[in-house]
Amino acid sequence: MSLRELKGLLLFVMAIGAAAYFGGGATFASFSAETSNVGSSASSGTLTMSDQVNTGTPCLSANAASQNNVNAACAFALALTNVAPGVFGGVAQITVQNTGSIDASKFYLWAPYVNATLSAGISAGSVSSLPITPLEGTVTSGDTIVVSYGTNTQTFAANAAAAGSATSISVTPKVSGFAYPIGTIVTDTSSNSGPSNTDCFDAKTTVGGTAGATFGNNLNFNPTTGNPFCGTALIFVQETTGGNHYCWLGKGSSPEAASGMCTAPISVNLSSALTTGGPITSLPVTALNGNVANLDTIVVTSGTNTQTFVASANTYMGATAIPVASLTPNFAYPTTSTVIDSAAISSLNNDTTDTITNFNTGHNVVGKIQLFPVTGNGAINNTATVELNHFNTGTFSRIFQVGVFMPAPAGINQNPLQGLQSTFGITWHIDQ
Amino acid sequence: MFAGLYRHVHRTAGPASSTWRLKKMLAALIIFGALSSVTATGTFALLTSEEGNTHSAVSSGTLTFDNVVNTGTACFSYGGPSSPGNVNTGCQALITSATLNYPGVAITPVKVTITNDGSIDASDLSVYMPSCTAAATPGAPTPGGADPCATNGAQFYIQETTSTGTPTQCWYPSAVGACSFSASSLHLFAANVNTTTSALDLGKGPAHATARYFLIGMQLPSTAGNALQGEAAVFPLTWHMST
Repeated sequence: MSLRELKGLLLFVMAIGAAAYFGGGATFASFSAETSNVGSSASSGTLTMSDQVNTGTPCLSANAASQNNVNAACAFALALTNVAPGVFGGVAQITVQNTGSIDASKFYLWAPYVNATLSAGISAGSVSSLPITPLEGTVTSGDTIVVSYGTNTQTFAANAAAAGSATSISVTPKVSGFAYPIGTIVTDTSSNSGPSNTDCFDAKTTVGGTAGATFGNNLNFNPTTGNPFCGTALIFVQETTGGNHYCWLGKGSSPEAASGMCTAPISVNLSSALTTGGPITSLPVTALNGNVANLDTIVVTSGTNTQTFVASANTYMGATAIPVASLTPNFAYPTTSTVIDSAAISSLNNDTTDTITNFNTGHNVVGKIQLFPVTGNGAINNTATVELNHFNTGTFSRIFQVGVFMPAPAGINQNPLQGLQSTFGITWHIDQ
Repeated sequence: MFAGLYRHVHRTAGPASSTWRLKKMLAALIIFGALSSVTATGTFALLTSEEGNTHSAVSSGTLTFDNVVNTGTACFSYGGPSSPGNVNTGCQALITSATLNYPGVAITPVKVTITNDGSIDASDLSVYMPSCTAAATPGAPTPGGADPCATNGAQFYIQETTSTGTPTQCWYPSAVGACSFSASSLHLFAANVNTTTSALDLGKGPAHATARYFLIGMQLPSTAGNALQGEAAVFPLTWHMST
């Protein structure tokens, strides 16, 4: 290359460099980059729950007509009829689920106040009577009656008594600042202070326990004053979540039994027949509807044949065999044979503490029962930060057995309790 | 970090200084902390959910029964006064003084039907005789003066039968199939089976909506003398049922 050509080449390169230098700004400004986080939103989670009685339809807190995430109208847990003293009553299973997206740090069980819901809306303005669904409990004149719907709440004063199942509450006239619609929750916050004003109330039965039989209204010796059946019938609540048992309410609740089992009677049948060929160490039974404590006496009966076995271990609800001390059956008991735990029944027959009335007065919203996570039979974690996990995580569903038993105390005439019906409720509550 | 801040505090002073900035930052933290403290309760209680299983109902059954004498009117246990309740002492007499007894001749047995009209099965039925007292037979001109309730007085039995009257079980005076009279049986029954505690156990049942049938037999012994003429034995017979 000649010198002249080399100079030309260098000038060309300089021109490109100059262009690059001075024109760079414009060149770079034609390129840009940018990101934008659009559509951001802040969504609140949900804290809702459901409860399901046995295999019924789950009842959702969020579906309540009162629009405050309080559903006071879930299915009744128990509907026991023709209950006799000292005989197995009944048990219902209640499954409580956190259906929301937020963990519940607290989970409670308590006895509700005397309650109902508005059966018809009340207009804004002067109110002197509250039309309600059949009242659960009794209202005394002067009681404080609270109506609540969504975020609206108003307090009235009852100016007359209202009996159980009443369909209206008379209140001292007062101006309501809000038109409370049907479904509004109505509670008597003065209730649950004594046996006569509990959520549980007694009434005489109007239908026989069996077809054509006498019923409460036929009888003149079964007054309902003071709710005597509520004050006698025993209640228990035992958790069975994940096979871990804990007695939250009733005879056997902490600190009575370290095993986690309530004193809950059984009434089951043999699931296979016994033979007289030799000693047995286990009774095959249909799924237990109560508990059997070690050393309890187990009575097997078929017609006039009966035999008493002694339990050799604790056996919990749902089990299908009862370990017993070795004994040869004295009869070939068929599968129709009944199996009861006479020790449990005897124990409950003397129980005057664990009544529905005492549940109402001792474990209402003031004495609520905190349902800590159960970690084993009779074991709980009372420092856990979550007591009911949010839906589809951890323990978001917990299972409880609720049972009632009518005791037969020795030497006491129970005739005044014939033909009575006790009606009551149970409240489940979770907090964020 | 805190070591660095500490150094700045000692290096300068005034509104533009690091010390001033540090004070402002700390003040902000204090305010934030105070707000947290004040609002904490409201924040934690923000979300709740609640459900109630209302109107659970537990109903007790009934244990009541009636007794019918022969083809008479049913007398209900709950037809008595409210106290003690379910006790009716006003039911029809088994035998009236119009039915006269003669030595060695049994009267026509009286049929008593016990029907459980409650809803609960009876686990036990029993019977007892609270008393037996002598009285003059109404209209008798010259009562003999003896006591038919006493030893060697009237004789008595309780026979269970089928609904059609076929004997099934003699409950008194001897536990056999068919009853027969025995000496002093009325006296012995009244003397020994006269309270709920000493009542004669008639076994299980009846179940609800079912009945049991009994025949009550009575006669004067064939050896009865004139002293039992014109004399009456007055006795209640009480039936008791329990669960």
